[in-house]
Parts: sequence; structure tokens; C-alpha cells
Amino acid sequence: MASVYTVGQVNSYIKNMFNEDFALNNIGIKGEVSNCKYHSSGHIYFSLKDSSGVIACVMFAGNRRGLKFQMQEGQKVVVFGQVTVYERDGKYQMYAKDITLDGEGDLYRKYEELKRQLEEMGMFDREYKREIPKFAMKVGIVTASTGAAIQDIINISKRRNPYVELILYPAIVQGEEAAPSIVNGIRYLDNEGVDVIIVGRGGGSIEDLWAFNEEIVARAIFDCNTPIISAVGHETDTTIADYVADLRAPTPSAAAELAVFEYSAFLNDINMYRYELLRRLNYKLESNKNKIKNYELRLKNLSPQNILMQKMQYVADIELKLDNKINNILISNKHRLAILSEKLNGLSPLNKLSNGYAYIDDKDKNAIKTVDNINKNDEINIHLIDGVIKTVVTDIERLEA
Amino acid sequence: MDIKETTLEESFGELEKILSELDRENVTLEESFDLYTKGMELVKLCNSKIETVEKKLRIIGEEKAE
Repeated sequence: MASVYTVGQVNSYIKNMFNEDFALNNIGIKGEVSNCKYHSSGHIYFSLKDSSGVIACVMFAGNRRGLKFQMQEGQKVVVFGQVTVYERDGKYQMYAKDITLDGEGDLYRKYEELKRQLEEMGMFDREYKREIPKFAMKVGIVTASTGAAIQDIINISKRRNPYVELILYPAIVQGEEAAPSIVNGIRYLDNEGVDVIIVGRGGGSIEDLWAFNEEIVARAIFDCNTPIISAVGHETDTTIADYVADLRAPTPSAAAELAVFEYSAFLNDINMYRYELLRRLNYKLESNKNKIKNYELRLKNLSPQNILMQKMQYVADIELKLDNKINNILISNKHRLAILSEKLNGLSPLNKLSNGYAYIDDKDKNAIKTVDNINKNDEINIHLIDGVIKTVVTDIERLEA
Repeated sequence: MDIKETTLEESFGELEKILSELDRENVTLEESFDLYTKGMELVKLCNSKIETVEKKLRIIGEEKAE
């Protein structure tokens, strides 16, 4: 008896077989679109069919960048992605990452192939990139003489710097003659001695832009001695020319911005330099002047006149100090005298007169202390506390001892 | 270096160098005069390199292109 497994085990086993298969993991399938449904979630469900059969396909919302057109019933397309198993339904299907219209698919493969080849040869390497000059005076342009690209470039250039010379090589940028025409333009302008070359055209379909994916154009850009800015189509279009060019501009307008320097910014820079030079020189002058002033001051301080002045000042200071000292001594002595005189005053005999006692002297101011010194009819003065009585002695009585 | 032969980028680089030389503490006054004169000459040269004549678009004739 054979072994028995669950449905899940079998589906998971089959899925694993699919996933390990190298071919199924990265495959392109071409066929006709049928049962195409754009789901509101962003996923797209459809089938691919041909005369022999049908395969279910899904493109998840996250991969929608790989589809650049609206898919319609019956369209012939090439779908790139992975074939694997949806376990829940036991169904295998194609999980699409890129979808191109059939025919476009050929171009896409050619593009990928050439890109790989040139990359391997090192033609995209950074070391070969020439620097775009900051101040190009002559800008060569290889593009159609009619069309939006040249108009955009002229407008931007005029606005940024009308003094830059634009030289247009009117090239055919579409169709079979385009590639050789672009190559001639690049070579012509390289010999003309321009500072930088813009090569490009406005937006278009992959077929319209195809000349910029041709190997001869890539080689002409690589061999050109003048720096080249590529400007093909819109930002989302990247051609082989963009990879080989020294600089890739997303659009022709952007290329003009990169190639033509702004005159006003240049004037600003020049004025800045002029100003900065003058400012620094003035600073140097000022600082030297200050140095001289400083030396002058120091010299003056050391002149004999100044030294004499300093000595005179010293003498004056000493004189002032002496004056102060002697004044202080005088003041303190006066003070002491005042105190002593106050004390002396307290001891004056006049104070004793206050109690009715009197002090007597004669007209010659000799104090009369005893009757022996006085005679009848002598004039005497009786000093009281508040005045003097002048009188004459009328009689003298001596106390008996 | 002959300054007449320099490109604008080189002149600008030279100007930057002169400015930082002037910034140096120990640069002498004589040197700074020389540097200033050289700088102003470069400024004049830069200005004169930009020919201020409006340029018209020149279109290469097809017969010449071949």
C-alpha cells in the first residue's frame, strides 16, 4: 500500500518542488490577456492563453510599478515573474513582476542585454566619468531643432546666463536614422571645442527613445572627450545613454540647469571675494596701527620727561603726607589742651564765691588775706560771684589772739 | 603659475587660498599687500573672462555636419 498524506502535506510538497525549480523562479511567458480584472485592492488577476492552453496570473499591488500600461483583453503581452503554487486552491499560477507588450519585450531584452554587456566592459564605471565644468562658456546640444527639449534648454539658459553660447547640432532623435545622426552630432561638437555637451530629447514611448539605447550612441558618448550630460525623456526613463554619460539629467530642462552656471551667483561670488579681500587687508592695517599705537604709548612712558614727572609727583606725595602727619599731631595736642583746661576750670577758686563768700583785693589787685595789709581809707574791691563792690575801709578791728 | 592661463574654477580656488593666507596670524603687512593685489587681479580676471555679450543660439548647418 502507498503512504497516505494530508492535502496540506501534498500541496506543500508540490509548492516546494516548484520553488526549487530554477526555470520557474524567474521566467517570461508570452500570450494573450484574458479575464483581466483590476481588483479594488490594487491586485490584478488575469489569464494568459494561446492556442494550446491557459495559465492563471496575478500581479500584486506591490509589483504594479512593473506595468506601465492599461492591460486589455486580447492584448499580446510578455509577463515576467515566478510560477508557483497557491496551496489553498491546489492551483499553480504566475506571479507577475513585469508586464510588457509583446514586441516591446524584444526591445526590453535587447536593452537588458546591451546594458549587461557594456556594464561588463566597464563603460558605466565611475572612473571614466568626466567632471562637468562649473563655468562652461560654450554649451553644445545634440537634439531635434524642433520640439520641447531645445525650447526648454534655451529658456533655462537665457534665464540663468544669457552670455553662455549655445550651439545646437540639429539631430534626428527618432527612427532608424536617429542613432547615426546623434553620433555625428556628438563627434561634431566634440571637435568644435565646446565645454560641455547636452545629448537628449523630450519624453516618448520606449520605441521613440530607442536611439538612446543603441550601442553606437553609447560608444560615441563614451569616446567623446568633452563631458556629456544626458537628458532623455522624463525622470522615469533611463536609457543606456544615461548610464554611459558623464552626468544624467532627468529632463532637458534639468540638463540646462546643470550645464549653464547662474550669472547672478557668479557675480555674488566675485563681489564676495572683493569684499573679503578688502576686509582682511583692512583688518591687517588696523591691527598694525594698533601695534604702533601700543609701542608709542610704551615709549612715551619711558621718556625722560615722563620719568621726571613721576619723580615730581613722588615728592609732592611725600610733602602731602608730611603735612598730614604734622596736622594730626597739632590737632591731637589741641584736644589734649582743651581737656586739661576744662579740668583746670573745674578747680577755679571763683567757684567758691557762689555760696556768699567773697574775695577781696586792693586797687593793685593784691589779694587781701589779713588785716595787717590794709589801712583805714584804703580802696578795696569785694568780688562776688556776679560782680564787684568797690568800697572804702572805714575801720579796722583786729581779733585778739 | 601664470594666472592668465587659469580656468575660472582654478581662479576661484586660488582666491580661496589667498583669503586663508590673509587670515593667518603671522602674515606680514607686506605679504598681505601682495596677497591683496594678487586677489584683486584675480577678481578682475574672473570678471573679464565672462564675456558679457548676449549670445544667440548657433545652429550647425546640416551640410557642415556631414
